[in-house]
Amino acid sequence: MLANQQTGSSLKGRRTLAIAGLAPIILWQIVFFVCPMALLAVYSFWRLVDYKIDYTPTLYNYRDLFSNPLLFNALLLSLQVAVAVTIVCAILAYPIAYFIAKKAGRWRILLLILVIVPFWTSFILRAYAWKLLLGERGFINSGLSLLGMIDQPIQYLLYSPVATSIGLIYAFLPFYILPLYTSIDKVQDSWLAAAQDLGATPVRAFFEVTFPLCIPGLVVGAVFTFIFAVGDYVIPQLLGGGKSLLIAQAIVLEFETSQNWPGGAALSMVLLAIILAILIATLRWIRMEDVV
Amino acid sequence: MAAATATSSVTRESPLSRFLGIAYVGLVYGFFYIPIIVIVLFAFSGRDIPALPLENFTTRWFHEALADEELMSSLWTSTWIAFVTAILATAIGMPAAMVLAWRPFRGKAFVFGLILSPIIIPQMVIGISLLLLFRYSPQLIGAIGIVIAHITLTLCFSVMIFYSRFLGFRMSLVEAAMDLGASEARTFFEVILPLATPAILAVMLLTFTESFGEFIVAWFVAGFDETLPIAIWTSLRFGLSPRINAIATLIMVISITLSALAQFWILRQTRAPSQAG
Repeated sequence: MLANQQTGSSLKGRRTLAIAGLAPIILWQIVFFVCPMALLAVYSFWRLVDYKIDYTPTLYNYRDLFSNPLLFNALLLSLQVAVAVTIVCAILAYPIAYFIAKKAGRWRILLLILVIVPFWTSFILRAYAWKLLLGERGFINSGLSLLGMIDQPIQYLLYSPVATSIGLIYAFLPFYILPLYTSIDKVQDSWLAAAQDLGATPVRAFFEVTFPLCIPGLVVGAVFTFIFAVGDYVIPQLLGGGKSLLIAQAIVLEFETSQNWPGGAALSMVLLAIILAILIATLRWIRMEDVV
Repeated sequence: MAAATATSSVTRESPLSRFLGIAYVGLVYGFFYIPIIVIVLFAFSGRDIPALPLENFTTRWFHEALADEELMSSLWTSTWIAFVTAILATAIGMPAAMVLAWRPFRGKAFVFGLILSPIIIPQMVIGISLLLLFRYSPQLIGAIGIVIAHITLTLCFSVMIFYSRFLGFRMSLVEAAMDLGASEARTFFEVILPLATPAILAVMLLTFTESFGEFIVAWFVAGFDETLPIAIWTSLRFGLSPRINAIATLIMVISITLSALAQFWILRQTRAPSQAG
């Protein structure tokens, strides 16, 4: 009875509380996330003329992206590197995730934590570590020459798209292992046993039971790895050098060096458009999978 | 019994494939940890450049790093920025997660989208867009701007951790407190807050670490202020110095110890109530 008397006033009170709980975060996101993004979009339609911004709306920056080989090549190279990194990560991550989920036994928690621990150190330090490893006088080169295996340092280790790719794989492999682990972990051993009882070989059981069930994990991991890899700046700048730019480096070049903010904004918008297109395609595909 | 034998027939494998599996896992974990080990090794080597062979074990670089005023002041800046970020990201994220987890309302998907979408935006783009915004209020450029940027980056983690914690919350405890006449405020401080402590700690730790190590966004909005990652980045332009290895080693030891302790503590806390009940 007491509860009934209270309901009216406390419902109202809780409604106020709910609004008070959500209002700060919504306001924050609008002011410091939505507004800046909208501003970025607006900037991309302005143009830099004689070091001053011309506020007449124009598609000049977007056209420039396709006519300027430096920018266009940066975009292409970024996509290539991101695709390569994603594929290598998938191939490297799958056996690891499978091992942790199915073979590790009591080591499972420890192995999972060990995947996450490198994240507790700064991203920039992890990139720096690869510079130490791959540099002209770095760990690998000086180690090989100590062993007498090389006379001259291997130059192409550092400052190449390969170095960038290694750094990106290192940085984002854990992001691939974790969702894969979750999806493989859900595959029950009894399902495999059932397949084998029905006469399937272990290999066939794997390809017809385990693998199809972890395709969602593979896709989620791929999407995140690709998104993180395609937009990264620190690793290509530290390890890839300035010869073959990636899109993130081109964006910083526009902003910092050329002071061409509208141009940099347009490049950023193209990067965002690519990411959004991939996300929307994946979400559609996942829904299709649910329906089928 | 039948189930047990069936399972073992699936997991049985030859020693060779077992060995190959373990060797592969060892290789990949080596890949994860060799860079970190290399940083630490070179921090103790007596040579001026971080190269092999390692010579003359020394702690000189640690002394030099700790005596380096620029490095130390950037370390202090990073620390307080990360601390303020952790507190505010927790304070803003926690009530929002409570509402999202406990109250049905229209437009919830939209609010989730608004909160989570920064995850998919490259951090560099977030930094650039904030810089464009701060151009209209230049007094925010600098440490304040970095705090704002880091809160924007970490709110999504904060809300997600609290949200999953509050979804699994025993609402009967809250209802019991309210039925016994406790006010909303008292229920919050005496029931919800103690039960949410592990989640609060987890969020503060994660947001602190993320802010402390974050470089690219801070770099864009920093103005003349310097965080430790920015100081490291700047000094990398002048070549590799073992001093960076020394400071990196110190930070890694501290952050890995803190995170491990907190993880351990959280595990114990989350186990304790279930054992009691």
